[in-house]
Amino acid sequence: MKTLSANAMVGGLFVGAFVIAACIGSVWTPYDPMALDMKARLAGPSIQHLLGADEFGRDVLSRLMLGASASGIVSLATVAIATVLGTALGSISGYLGGWTDRVLVAVTNALLAFPGILLALGLLAIFGANKYGIVLALGIAYTPSVARIVRGTVLSLREREFIDASRVSGDSEMYTLLRHILPNCLAPLTVLSTSMFGWTLLSESALSFLGLGVPPPAPTWGNMLAAARPYLAQAAWLAIFPGLCISIVLLGINLLGDALRDRLDPKMRGMQ
Amino acid sequence: MLRFILSRMGMAVPTVFLVAVVVFFLIRLVPGDPAALLLGDMASPESVAALRSDLGLDKNILAQFAIWLTNVFQGDLGTSITTKEPVAHLVIERFKVSAGIVLVAVALASLVAVPAGFIAALRQNSKLDLTLVSVAALLLSIPTFWLGLVILLIFGLKLGWLPVVGYVSVAEDPSRGLLYVLMPILTLFLHEIGVLVRMARASALEVLRLDYITHARAKGLPERTVLWRHVFPNAFAPTLTLIGLVLGNMLGGIAVVETVFTIPGLGRLLVDAIFGRDYPVIQGCLLFIAVIYVLVNLIVDLCYPLFDPRVKIT
Amino acid sequence: MNRRQRLAASAAAIALTLACGPAAAETLKIALNADIRSLDPGVNRDANSDAVVLHMVEGLVAYSEDASVKPLLAKEVAVSDDDLTYTFTLRDGVKFHNGNVLTSADVVWNWNRYMDEATKWRCRNDFADGGAAHVVSVTAPDDKTVVFKLEKPNALFQATLARTDCGMTGILDKSSFNADGSFNVPVGTGPFRYKEWRKGEFIDLEAFADYAVRDEEKRDGYTGAKRPLVEAVRFAVIPDRSSAKAALLNGDIDIVPDVPYADVEEFKQNADTAVSLATNPGIVALLLQTRDPLLKDMRIRKAIAMALDTKTMVEGITLGLGKANNSLIPPTSKYHSPAQTQGYSYDPEAAKALLREAGYNGQPIKLIANTRYSNTYDAAIVAQAMLQQVGITAELEVLEWAAQLDRYQSGNYTAMVFPYSGRYDPALTMDSVMGNKDKEPRKVWDDPEAQAMLADAVRYSDPAKRQELFDKLHARFLETVPFIMLYNGLEASAYQKHVQNYAASIFSMPRAWEVTIAE
Repeated sequence: MKTLSANAMVGGLFVGAFVIAACIGSVWTPYDPMALDMKARLAGPSIQHLLGADEFGRDVLSRLMLGASASGIVSLATVAIATVLGTALGSISGYLGGWTDRVLVAVTNALLAFPGILLALGLLAIFGANKYGIVLALGIAYTPSVARIVRGTVLSLREREFIDASRVSGDSEMYTLLRHILPNCLAPLTVLSTSMFGWTLLSESALSFLGLGVPPPAPTWGNMLAAARPYLAQAAWLAIFPGLCISIVLLGINLLGDALRDRLDPKMRGMQ
Repeated sequence: MLRFILSRMGMAVPTVFLVAVVVFFLIRLVPGDPAALLLGDMASPESVAALRSDLGLDKNILAQFAIWLTNVFQGDLGTSITTKEPVAHLVIERFKVSAGIVLVAVALASLVAVPAGFIAALRQNSKLDLTLVSVAALLLSIPTFWLGLVILLIFGLKLGWLPVVGYVSVAEDPSRGLLYVLMPILTLFLHEIGVLVRMARASALEVLRLDYITHARAKGLPERTVLWRHVFPNAFAPTLTLIGLVLGNMLGGIAVVETVFTIPGLGRLLVDAIFGRDYPVIQGCLLFIAVIYVLVNLIVDLCYPLFDPRVKIT
Repeated sequence: MNRRQRLAASAAAIALTLACGPAAAETLKIALNADIRSLDPGVNRDANSDAVVLHMVEGLVAYSEDASVKPLLAKEVAVSDDDLTYTFTLRDGVKFHNGNVLTSADVVWNWNRYMDEATKWRCRNDFADGGAAHVVSVTAPDDKTVVFKLEKPNALFQATLARTDCGMTGILDKSSFNADGSFNVPVGTGPFRYKEWRKGEFIDLEAFADYAVRDEEKRDGYTGAKRPLVEAVRFAVIPDRSSAKAALLNGDIDIVPDVPYADVEEFKQNADTAVSLATNPGIVALLLQTRDPLLKDMRIRKAIAMALDTKTMVEGITLGLGKANNSLIPPTSKYHSPAQTQGYSYDPEAAKALLREAGYNGQPIKLIANTRYSNTYDAAIVAQAMLQQVGITAELEVLEWAAQLDRYQSGNYTAMVFPYSGRYDPALTMDSVMGNKDKEPRKVWDDPEAQAMLADAVRYSDPAKRQELFDKLHARFLETVPFIMLYNGLEASAYQKHVQNYAASIFSMPRAWEVTIAE
C-alpha cells in the first residue's frame, strides 16, 4: 500500500498546485493576460516573461494562470451539472422502476451510444461555442455515466432491509431516497467526479483544438494550445507549456482518482 | 442464442431511432445555413433562396424529417450538400480508413497492455506495479492531439523518416500505405496502452480477490495452474468488454488525430461536415457511429460466455 | 536534398521513394487547403474549385495581372459605338483536350447551357433579364465570330464574363457531358487536362500537349503565355496548415499557396524554400451596423475610425508584410489614384471628444470575429485594444464562420470584422457592399447618393470618367464612415526553390503554367 500512496501523494501535489495556481490566477497575474505588446511578440522565455510571450506579446505565464482558473471553473461547473442531473435521473429511474425506468434507460443508452466528445460537438453547436455552451454540452454528455452508476447503486440498495425498514416506518419515498439511498452513492460518485473533472479538461482542450472550444481571447489551456499550432516551429514553448500543464494536471487527477478508488470503492475498479 | 441476439437488437432499435431524431433536429437548430456557406460572402439572397429550395431546406422541418427517415429505411442516407456524393458511400469509405487505424492500434495496445496489466496485478504494490501504473497514468494523461503533434515533429520533421501528410490506402499499395498510417497508429497505440493497462490490472485484481481463487490456492493447486485456469480467463472477460467500449469511443476521439495527420477518416468527415453545415453527412455519420457502437457492444456481449464460463446466454 | 536524407534514414523510406517512381520529379505538387467542390466551371464552386478548374478551362476573355480584361480564346474584341454590341473573333487552331477544334458554335452552345436555369451557373442572374449586363442575343455569323448584344450599356460586361468565380464563362467541349446532359469532367482548352480526382485526397492533371499558346512572351494573370511546362500537376488536399508546412519543409509538396504570415520569415531563411507575396483585391473590413441604436450616430462611427491606427494594426497583423488601405480600391488597381491613398486620420483625442459629444459612456459594443480566417480574428483583437484606449468598450464575440456568415447575411450584429473575397473591378467590389439594407440586410453601405455614382461607374467605360466617380465615392466613404476599410488581402505563397518561375498573384490562386521544376 505504501508505494501506491506515494503515487497518490504525487497526484495530490499536482492537483494542489493546479488549485493554487487557479486561485492565484483568478485574482493576480504577473501581467495583464489580455494586454497586447507587439514588441514582445513570440518572445522566448526570459526574466521578463518567464514562460515567454505569445503571438500578440501576451505573457504566457499570466495566461496559463488565468487559463487554469478558467479551465478549472469550466470543469467544476461541468462536473456539477453532470452530477446533479445524473443523480436525479439515476435515482428516479432506479427507485421508481417501471416505465419511467425503461424510458430513462433508453434515453441514457442513446446518449451513451455517442462518444462523449461527439455528443458534446453536437450540443455545442446548439448552445454556442462559448464558456456556457461548453459547460452545458459536456455536462449533458457526461450525465448518462452518472445516471447509470447511481441507478445501479439504487437498484442494489432498493431491496435491502434498512430501506424496507425506512418505508415501513412510514417515511416518505423522497425522504428514504435522500436519507438512505443517496448517501450510499457518494463513494462511487466521488470517484466518478474525479475522473469527469479530468475528462472535461481533456475534452475542452480537444474541442478547442478542433476550433469549437471556449472562444478566445479569454485563455483556456485548450485554446492556447490550439492558437500555438501555427507557431510550432518558431515558438515551440507556446504549445509545450499548455500541453505540459494539461498532462500534469490530468496525471495528478488520474493518480489521485486511483487512490480514491482504492480507498472508497474497491468495486469501482475497472470502470472507466 | 438467436433469441438473445434478436432481443438485444430489439433493445437497440429505440436507441438508434432516438439518436436519429435528436441528431436531425439538433443540427437544424444550430445557426448557419448550408446554402449561404456554399455560395460564400457575395451571394445574393435570391441565389441563396434558390439553392435552399434545391436542397429541400425550404420545406417544413417535419416534412424534411419524414423524407429523410423514409430514405434511411430504404438504405439511402442522402447526398452530401458540399460534394454531392452519396453519404452512405462517403461514410463507409471514410470508416474503413478510421477503422483500420483504430483496430490495429487497439489490437497492438491490447497485446502489450493486457499482459502488462495482469503482471502488475499479480505483483500488486511492487516496484514493477508502481512503474507500470505510473507509466499508464502518464500515457493516459497526455492529450492525443498533443502527443500526435510531438510525434509528427520528431519522426516527420526532425528525423524525416515518415511522410508528414497525405494518405495512401494500405489495400492499394501496402508498403507505402503503411508509412502514412504509422504515426497515427503510434499515437493511438500509446494512448490506448495507458487506458488498457489500468483496465486489465483492475480486472485481474478483482478476480484475485475472489473466494474461489483463495480456495484454489488453499487446495494446494500450483500457482501456475491457478493463474492460467482461474485468474486469466476470468479477468479476460471484463477486459474484453472494456476493449469493446474503447473501440466505440475511439471512433469519436479519432477526429483530432485525423486532423493532426490529415487522414481522410470518419472523424474528419464529421468535423468538416459540422463546419460546412452539411446536414446529410452529419446525420449519416452520427447514425452510423451509433449503430457501430451498438453492434460492438452486442458482439462483446456475445463473446462474453466464450471467455467467462459463469455467464450463460439463454 | 531531402530525398537523399530520407534514403539514408530508413529502409522504410526506400520503399516510399521507389514507389514514387522516376516520373515523380516532373509532377508539380501544390497543396490545397480544402477539397474542391466540383469541376463544373462556375457551378457549385469555391475558390479552390476555381483554381483547379481554370487550369483546364478557358473563356473568351480573362483578367490580366493588373485586373484589366484582355482576350484569351478571343483574338480580339470589337465594341460598337453604342456600347451594345460585342464582337469576339476566335483565335485559330485552338483545340479541346479531345482534339476537337474550337468554333463559334461551341461558344454559342456553351452560352445557352450557362443561361439554362438547370445548369445553376453562378453568374446567370448577371446576364439574364433584369441583370446588370442583360444579354439579349448571342449569334455566330461565321466559324470564328461570336456576337453578343446587350440590352443596355454596361462597362462591366467583359469583366463579368472573365470573373474567376463564374468559371471565366469557360468554353467546354460537348464530350464534357454525359448522355443525359449532366456534367461529367471538363474537356476544355486549357494548358492541363483532367486525369483523376480522388475526393478528399488529390486532383491530378496532366499537361495538354496540343495547347494553343498565345503569341506572348509572359504570363499575364489568366491570359498571356500559359504553356504547360511540367508533365503533371497534383493538387493535394491538406486542410491542416501545420501539416502543409511540414510537407513543404519535408519535400513532399512543392508549393503551398497560402502560408501563415508567421511562417514567411522561416521559409525565406530556409535554404530550400522561397516565398512570393501578392496583394489581392479581397478586403478585410470592420463592419458597423448603421442601424444599431448606438452606431447609427455617425459621430460614434467616426470616433471608432479615429481611434484605430490602421497602419500599426495592419503591420502588426501581417507582421510588416502588408500595408493598410482605407480605400475599397486595391493599390494594385489602375484606379488607385493619389486621392485613394487618403485614409482615416488617427486621432485618439479627437475621438474621445466626439464620443463625449455623442454622449457615449461606455455602453459595450459587441465585436464579432471568427478563427477560421485568422487575420480577421487578429484584426479584431487589435481593434479591441485600440478602442479601449479611447474608452470604447468592445466585447469580442468569436463565432464559428458559419454562424458569423449567418449574422452577416441577416445584418444582425453591431460590429464585426469580415473578409470579402476579391472582385477585380472596383465597381464590382463596391457593388458587393453597397445597397439598400431594407431590401438586402447584408449590404453595409446604404447611401442613395453613393449608389447613383456607382451606377454611373457601371454604365460608363471611359476610364477618366470612372476615376472621377471612384474618387468622389472614396471621399464620401471616408466622410460618412458606413464601415471601416482596413486592408486588402495579402497572400504569401511558399515553394521549393527547385520550382522555377512560380509567383503568387492578385487572384490568390495557384497557377501551374509556365512553371518548371529544376533537377
